[in-house]
Amino acid sequence: MRSWSSLDEFEAFIAADGIVEPVDDMPHQYRTELFRFIEMHANSELMGGLTERDYIPRAPGLVRKLGTLAKTQDEIGHAHLLYMVAADLGIKTRDEMLEDLYEGRSKFHNVFHYRVHTWADQVAIAYLVDAAALTTQQAVFKDCSYGPYRRILKRVIAEEGFHMRQGEEMLLRLADGTRAQHDLFQEALDRWWWPVMHFFGPPSKENDLLLRWRIKSATNEALRDRYVQKFVPQLHAYGFVVPDPDLHQDPATGKWVIGEIDWDPLRDTQANVGPDSARRIATARRGWDEASWVRDALEASAATAQGAG
Amino acid sequence: MSAPAASAVRNAAAAVCDPEFPGITIEDLGVLEDVRVGPGGVVSVDLLPTFLGCPALDVIAGDVEAAVATVPGVGDVSVRYLTAPAWTPERITAKGRDKLAAEFTVAIRRRDELSCPVCTSTAVEDVSPFGPTACRAVAYCPECRNPIEVMRR
Repeated sequence: MRSWSSLDEFEAFIAADGIVEPVDDMPHQYRTELFRFIEMHANSELMGGLTERDYIPRAPGLVRKLGTLAKTQDEIGHAHLLYMVAADLGIKTRDEMLEDLYEGRSKFHNVFHYRVHTWADQVAIAYLVDAAALTTQQAVFKDCSYGPYRRILKRVIAEEGFHMRQGEEMLLRLADGTRAQHDLFQEALDRWWWPVMHFFGPPSKENDLLLRWRIKSATNEALRDRYVQKFVPQLHAYGFVVPDPDLHQDPATGKWVIGEIDWDPLRDTQANVGPDSARRIATARRGWDEASWVRDALEASAATAQGAG
Repeated sequence: MSAPAASAVRNAAAAVCDPEFPGITIEDLGVLEDVRVGPGGVVSVDLLPTFLGCPALDVIAGDVEAAVATVPGVGDVSVRYLTAPAWTPERITAKGRDKLAAEFTVAIRRRDELSCPVCTSTAVEDVSPFGPTACRAVAYCPECRNPIEVMRR
């Protein structure tokens, strides 16, 4: 176990690429910032997994059904691992985190506050949203100062990369399909483009503790820009129109510049009053309540096994 | 064109990586069972699925086909999955085991013993038989307090 006599000493350790482990006596504020960040990530994986789950019966064909099923397991599995890391920080138990989520008292990513209307929305999530998540997770993983989180992110990133590959294949199917299929994705893109821009977060605060302590390693603006440079040309190449009338290429640098972002929708999702927040949270709550008998049975079975052993 | 060297064909197939474990090959994982080169450079590859419901099966088969097709002299390539012998974590090579532990914090139970890929403690506790994928369970090391994943049989 390591301990630091002052915050300055801790920050010097962080600045020298030190990795903090759960057994270390970390500064309280580092612990709370880290906890909030991982709790939100865990909540988002869970809410994302539930979105995915809704499409298992509706996926077109057996191959897509298998893919959707596996992706649901991935997201729920990621949430499980992340809740373990978060709970280990000793601020809230896993049950407390879930209770706060189901009571609308904690946050999850803005993109899961919107309604999924069609299969094309599901493809937009697999292709656009997963890529946005991957962009931010890679930036966290690159030099994250917290050991257990970094180790999980390595696997999460590998799995999200595989989802994107599936997402791109599903997108190609729609892009190269009939006019109706093409239009279906265009409509989904019209719905999801701005939420994805919001996903990277509002303009950076000055002295962001998450950056300072290497809980993440790039600003929201930098990550959004990285994403725009990569995905605008790809969407154009597939023949889609990005729903931003002010989107243009800077004549000097050749870089894509997006129009002004309206932050009101992001504020609504952060306050859990987005377009589909109430229904999403209620559905998650109902699922948790209805599955309580499974948890009870598992616990009873484990207790019996222990008694016998 | 002359027939391709069997070793070159096998090496091409063996270098294909698992899509969810970048840098770890299907040979490391014991998924590559057999590669045969017949007359006319016709290649047949036999793979063992870790789990039948694995969503990566088609992707791996496609990657193997593409990798083998780049070897000069190769004609038709067919890749199939066998259901016997069954894949088990014992098939993972020593190199595969080391890479899974060091790079992905994934452990393999050997002779009923499990050691933590982070701190090597053997006090690892099982948490859930279900993890993010069909082939992995979740465990926890109370020594270093890391959640880890364990390859399932």
